[in-house]
Amino acid sequence: MENETAGVGGRESGVVERRSCSDARLPTPDTRVLALAFLLIATAASAQDIVIRDATILTITHGKIEHGSILVHGGKIAAVGTNAQVTAPAGAQVIDAAGKFVMPGIIDTHSHTAVEGSVNEISLPNTGMVRIRDVLNNEDINVYRQLAGGTTTALVLHGSANPIGGQSQIVKWKWGHPVSEWPIADAPRTIKFALGENPKSSNFRPPPGIPAQYPQTRMGVEEVIRQSFIDAKDYTARWDEYEAKKKRGDNPIPPRRDILMETMVDVLKGKIDVHSHCYRADEIMMLLNVADEQGFKIRELQHVLEGYKVAKEIAAHGVGGGTFIDWWGFKAEAYDAIPYNVALMTNAGVLTSVNSDSDELARRLNQDAAKAMKYGGLSEEEALKLCTLNGAKQLRLDHRLGSIDVGKDADIVIWTGHPFSTYSRVETTLVDGEILFDRQHDLVMRKEMAKEKTDRLKKEADDEAKNKKPGKPGNSDDEAKPEVTDEN
Amino acid sequence: MSRRFLCFSSFILLLLAAWPGFADAPGVYAITGGTVHPVSGPEIPNGVVIIRDGLIEAVGDAVVIPLDATIIDVKGAHVYPGLIDAQTSLGFPSASAPRRRGGGGGGARNAPPEQLPETGPAFLAFREAKISDDDVEAKRATGVTTIVTAPAFGIFNGQSVALNLGDGRGGGTMESRVIRNPAAQQISFNPRPAWTYPDSLMGVISYIRQTLLDAQQHAAAHAIYDKTPAGYKRPDESPSLDALGGVLRRDVPVVFVADSDLMMRRAEAIAKEFNVRMIIAGARQGYRMADELKALGAPLLVSTKWPVAPTSKEDREEQPLRVIRDRQLAPTTPAALAKNGVLFALVSGAGKTGDYLPGIRKAIENGLSADDALKATTINPAKIIGIDRQLGSLERGKIANLVITDKPIFDKESKVKRIFVDGRETKVPAEDEKKKPGTTGTTATTGVDGTWSFVVKATAGDVNISATLHVENGQISGTFSGDRGAGDIGNGTFDGTTVQFSIAGRGKEEAGDWVFHGTLHGANMEGTVSTTLGTFPFTGSRK
Repeated sequence: MENETAGVGGRESGVVERRSCSDARLPTPDTRVLALAFLLIATAASAQDIVIRDATILTITHGKIEHGSILVHGGKIAAVGTNAQVTAPAGAQVIDAAGKFVMPGIIDTHSHTAVEGSVNEISLPNTGMVRIRDVLNNEDINVYRQLAGGTTTALVLHGSANPIGGQSQIVKWKWGHPVSEWPIADAPRTIKFALGENPKSSNFRPPPGIPAQYPQTRMGVEEVIRQSFIDAKDYTARWDEYEAKKKRGDNPIPPRRDILMETMVDVLKGKIDVHSHCYRADEIMMLLNVADEQGFKIRELQHVLEGYKVAKEIAAHGVGGGTFIDWWGFKAEAYDAIPYNVALMTNAGVLTSVNSDSDELARRLNQDAAKAMKYGGLSEEEALKLCTLNGAKQLRLDHRLGSIDVGKDADIVIWTGHPFSTYSRVETTLVDGEILFDRQHDLVMRKEMAKEKTDRLKKEADDEAKNKKPGKPGNSDDEAKPEVTDEN
Repeated sequence: MSRRFLCFSSFILLLLAAWPGFADAPGVYAITGGTVHPVSGPEIPNGVVIIRDGLIEAVGDAVVIPLDATIIDVKGAHVYPGLIDAQTSLGFPSASAPRRRGGGGGGARNAPPEQLPETGPAFLAFREAKISDDDVEAKRATGVTTIVTAPAFGIFNGQSVALNLGDGRGGGTMESRVIRNPAAQQISFNPRPAWTYPDSLMGVISYIRQTLLDAQQHAAAHAIYDKTPAGYKRPDESPSLDALGGVLRRDVPVVFVADSDLMMRRAEAIAKEFNVRMIIAGARQGYRMADELKALGAPLLVSTKWPVAPTSKEDREEQPLRVIRDRQLAPTTPAALAKNGVLFALVSGAGKTGDYLPGIRKAIENGLSADDALKATTINPAKIIGIDRQLGSLERGKIANLVITDKPIFDKESKVKRIFVDGRETKVPAEDEKKKPGTTGTTATTGVDGTWSFVVKATAGDVNISATLHVENGQISGTFSGDRGAGDIGNGTFDGTTVQFSIAGRGKEEAGDWVFHGTLHGANMEGTVSTTLGTFPFTGSRK
């Protein structure tokens, strides 16, 4: 898909800001300014309680509260109810949300945002040793843009170039915070698998001169996955033998620690959740069978455009499905996609979410969720769950994410209208009780940043003009020049 | 510069009369009349430095000049310890050097980028560096008399070596130049070409971790086997893993080449995981985290190759504030580190030889004191590499590496007048010689810089794309616009001939980036584009 495409689709971070061709209206603020500004706000916010007043609250779990209030304390939701039920403690910051809608932060279970370098380690059929968390980039402007669309949590996945990709990472979009604070501490570890055209290299043709990489067929994809687990069991046996010898009082030479095999062993032990890219019903069944055979679990099928064909089987395995609502036909394996997939899977008992696989779609997952009311007639609450609670469950984080309930993380989005209206937009986004996006604040910052940019460029030009003048008449010494700006 | 011979006896007069007035033999010299900057203490106006047989015998203002000394009067000049450039790749091709696959002909055009020589932990810069006389002279012309060098390519760049830059006559062999070998193990986060593990940044990190784990296992296996081989399967021989033994025992430090704050933190994570002695090289975003770097305690080799603004006004205005600000704040890094008491040196790193002094001056313009700049180019690098008992200051017993300048060394107008390495005077190239093009350091190839028009002959018709490309250290960055929308250039590399880069896929309809593989012919480029829809030829021309 869009981002998990070519293994060479890396980003050159820190050099040129990644710009999107579409939606030029969205803010493009600068990292550092915002980081600073938000740190100031954050310091205040974490020390200060926040009360959101008089909103229509879409709780997800217990219906809609008109004229409702939420108390945020210590980064958590401390109280939810009608205005009368929630009292603001002294000193709390009160946000008047009269006429506005409030919902929990949107959860995107398929993201490739904020990855430095390539999202694919493309070189091997199984690259389970690599970790997205090693390469998170807190300067990716798309993170801020996604906050502006109400998205607060994401599963940042390795790409789909190989049957077993790297370890993925569940993060909150804590813009302005160091990346070390992004991963959700008690979130499960995750890994990306991929089936179909991408891992069989249809979309990853090496340039001339480099041999094609195994696997080249769906059979090969299946074999890579199966063999990886057989290898993992051998690996476990080697270590078991070593430990047994040590127990006997021998002094054995320790086996080699292999970070790829350690990953596969942890998948077998259920310590790492599998999120697998897939399209076709036959390969979905293949994966479920291999998982049964080898003794590991699939947590979530990603894309799963033909999920409706085998929805009962998916549900029987207790596997979730994260899908697109209305994208199809973009390649051979996506021809049988239908917009009713979400509703059909939901009705068959599959835990279903809509997700983005895109820096851009991740800013409006609310709209994709809304379409499930039109195609298949899900209820408003069911549709809202598609981009909130269901994703939280798929990530095994529903104890702290996905709804407006007391005790959950204060990841909260305030909209100008109902989030299912295309006319609504986000006013304010809170993550862990901190305001990390605020539309009014953003408008101020844009002006300040424009001015800083003008000032900086002017100073730079002035300095250069000054330096270009010879220090004294007749000085022609190259060494005396300021450092050259025409290099490169 | 006048030179006088003092005639204390007719014997010495006779001996000295045979000399050409250039103190290039080992011997006894008294450098007098200049302002001596010993670094280890305050400057000494009208000071004297006595050199005997390659070492410093005395420094001060009331030094008795030995009877056998040749007096070199440098009245009005400034005398410094020779500068130490503690991270270079002198004697190695740059990471982006043009390399052609053997065989040539039409086949070469579509060939993947040629790999540079394979480096690894056992790779010895001492053995592999090919340092020419021109390299040495150009380096010395900037006041540098000692370097540390290692290749910039590869992931494990190998073991760097600290060398004195003596000249060709006597003292010019690698063996005689060595100050410390190995100086350090150097590691760079350089992905390999696509389809060779590791070809992503995350892969590089995993590769480094796995290699260090293997080295641990190798050491553990040998610890058992070497003691009692009977009953054990013998461990495989591995020079690479053996070479990392010193790193794991903390005998040999690791230089991680890491420029951005994110990369520095990634290096830190690896260093902590394996408890290795870390030195960070690059560090140009150190200004963002000077206090953290202080807490970290790792010394830094700060590259003076500061980010450069695009030449055109339009290109500058196109850049986001973040990039502009980073470019302007990077040179404040040394001042911020000095203020926080971080041990750091200023190095040329990936920069050109001739940009070293201007780069240091820029750091001074941005708040670094000249005193701190001098420390950062003498005693600090000596401490960081562990050669401060021999070098880094003008003190009795240390190696007689000296640089003499007409004005304070970091003044814009200052010129290097005389240089001593191991107590012998070496040639300072004349001004016109310095300008000759050639092998001065690790020049990054920049031949694709500029704005290009590309035409891709796709099945469905021509696709026109305009792109602005910029090369730094063999990596291409830039932006594109046209029939496929607009965005950033991804994963670009350029080795002097072969160009590779990708542009983002356009959306769900096409699951894949477009990956360009081409060759540069002056103002033209041609090659193929790999897409999910097939592989198409493309041509490009410079606008």
